[in-house]
Amino acid sequence: MKANKVFLVDDDFIFREAAEVLIISSGLTEKVLHFENGLEVYDALLEMADTPDELPEIMLLDINMPVMNGWELLEELKQVKSVLRDSIQIHILTSSIAPEDLNLSKEYEFIDGYITKPLTRADLTNLAQSLIPEG
Amino acid sequence: MSVKIESNIGIHELPLPIAFVNKRFEIKEHSNVFYSYFGFEKTDELPNHLEGLIGKIPDSLREIKKKKTTTFKPISEFISYVSRKGELRWHKLVLYSDKSRSGYYLYFEDVTKKKIAFDLSLQAGRTAKIGSWEVDLVNNHIYWSDITKEIHEVSKNYVPDLEGGINFYKKGEHRDRIMELVSNAMENGGTFDEEFVIVTAKGNEKWVRSICSTEIVNGKAMRLFGVFQDIDQSKRASIKYQVLTDRMRVAVESANIGIWDYDIVNNVLVWDDNMYQLYQVSKEDFSGEVEAWESTIHPDDRERSLMAVQEAIEGKKEFNTEFRVKTSDGSVRYIQGVGKVFRDESGNAIRMVGANTDVSRIKKVDNRLRQLLNTTEKQNQSLLNFAHIVSHNLRSNSSNLSMLTGMLLENTNPEKQQRFLEMIRISSERLDETVVQLNEVIKIQADPNVSSQWVRVKATLVKVLESINAHLEKICPEININIEDELKIYGVKAYVSSIFLNLLTNSLKYRKPDVPLCINVEARKKDNLTIISFKDNGRGFDLQRYGDKLFGMYKTFHGNKDAKGIGLFISKNQMDAMNAEIEVVSEVDKGATFLLKFPN
Repeated sequence: MKANKVFLVDDDFIFREAAEVLIISSGLTEKVLHFENGLEVYDALLEMADTPDELPEIMLLDINMPVMNGWELLEELKQVKSVLRDSIQIHILTSSIAPEDLNLSKEYEFIDGYITKPLTRADLTNLAQSLIPEG
Repeated sequence: MSVKIESNIGIHELPLPIAFVNKRFEIKEHSNVFYSYFGFEKTDELPNHLEGLIGKIPDSLREIKKKKTTTFKPISEFISYVSRKGELRWHKLVLYSDKSRSGYYLYFEDVTKKKIAFDLSLQAGRTAKIGSWEVDLVNNHIYWSDITKEIHEVSKNYVPDLEGGINFYKKGEHRDRIMELVSNAMENGGTFDEEFVIVTAKGNEKWVRSICSTEIVNGKAMRLFGVFQDIDQSKRASIKYQVLTDRMRVAVESANIGIWDYDIVNNVLVWDDNMYQLYQVSKEDFSGEVEAWESTIHPDDRERSLMAVQEAIEGKKEFNTEFRVKTSDGSVRYIQGVGKVFRDESGNAIRMVGANTDVSRIKKVDNRLRQLLNTTEKQNQSLLNFAHIVSHNLRSNSSNLSMLTGMLLENTNPEKQQRFLEMIRISSERLDETVVQLNEVIKIQADPNVSSQWVRVKATLVKVLESINAHLEKICPEININIEDELKIYGVKAYVSSIFLNLLTNSLKYRKPDVPLCINVEARKKDNLTIISFKDNGRGFDLQRYGDKLFGMYKTFHGNKDAKGIGLFISKNQMDAMNAEIEVVSEVDKGATFLLKFPN
């Protein structure tokens, strides 16, 4: 199952660029949108709240970012329309190996996965399988 | 001419127990009271032989018969017998010979009471180990009582002499002293009552009390007499007690413990000498009232300390508190006070006794420990930051590298390979930079006291400004410096420069785009600190949100792409290493003020 689009939220442009190549070549999607921090993706998501069809199926979210980090974004998402939480699979994608971060991610019901960098083809295959076929 | 006095009074009429016996001790005549004296009634059968009255006749009386002459001195003898009432009685019997009548007069006297009294005194003397002695200077005769002999541990047959008696006194101060006293008594009639050590005949050392009186006739000492008491046990006990007391006193003095005694009813406070030492108050200046104590307590501790006394008196709490006192020389001491309240039968507090200890030194050590603990905590915080770095910066770059190299190998498109190589180069550069920064941090923490010295604040600041002159010319900020030329702080020069540089470049970096940048640098002394402040009118930040993370590693707050989150972390570490503090005051859009607090 292919996703129409994937949101990639990370402040490291090298990672974003490398990850995009990897995602597209894995066949998960053909459209990867880049966001540098939580605030950028938050603004984009709010704009799409009324047009759920435009929402991405998957969002890969880094934790450590300036301006608005991953946790802060998740807190904001608690306050908005539930469609933004429920129709997107949110996966944490972080370089942190601290158990506190993994534990914290379990506090959010709408988080669907936790991936530790580096991102691998195996991770992407798992993502593809977790997408429920439409209709 | 001679006058003959005739007496008509017969023996029977005498009101005393007198009898006339023949040489076989048969009672021939007796006074009327004689038998009743022995407890006989008139109706009783009266014995007519002395033996029937007093039992066995004493040997001294029996031996009279052997004497050649019938004229001899009266013989007196003590006899005891059990009376008809079953009591043990003592009598003094005196026998007078009567030449004319070939027999003897016997006179009896009941000495039971005297005998008992004498026995008691003997017993008392024995119990109290009090003996007596006497020196007859005229006849040069010396008498020791049995107990005196016992105390000297000599046999009852021992015949004392003056010199021998003195030689029992322990050689040295004791013997010298007794000789001095005895000769003074003999020459001047002096008396004494002193304690000595003697060495007994068996070689035991003993404490004795010797009391001497003198009998003087015509200004000349005739007789010395007195008592001699074995006080060994009590003396040794008191010496032991004295030793303990001395030991206690030394302990109390050397431990700087002061003892106080507060008479609550009369509001009288008594201090021992140590207390005056502790409080550095002279005795004359101390009125002995609680108010005088109050006035020495540090104002900040006064109310609490008085409350503690009050609570102890009310029985709510034991008195055990710590407070500061201001001594008369103006220094501050930490005192630990403990005390106990004494109450009367109805539970009213009447007296409080306690001890004060100077704990200033302990306090100092305690503070030092706290400081060490603080440093340790800071270092722990740094270690956590390290963990964070390893997790984030090192890992994010190394994971990039691992992703990119994998992709490089899989992808054969030369154009894309070129791009991957470029990204690998950036990632490895960033990895290198991170390692350099880490090294910087370790350097600070590895040797926190590198060559501390007095650093001139203004000169250092001017040098830093010169070093970023090119940067400044582009932005043209207004920089006001208000620092005395000679002001110095104690620190590491390189650190101070580095911190100044970091704060200045932060102000340049986070200025407001539309407002001309203005930086004010000031320095002033306050209490024990020299405070240097860097104030700008830049973008500021939300302290409520970031306050606790501001000086953490790799924390950025402006969304600025150049922000690496290492500068303030390093500055903070450098300040810690110099035992100084860095603080910040800021609000979003209202600029930031950093305060550097150096101890003087």
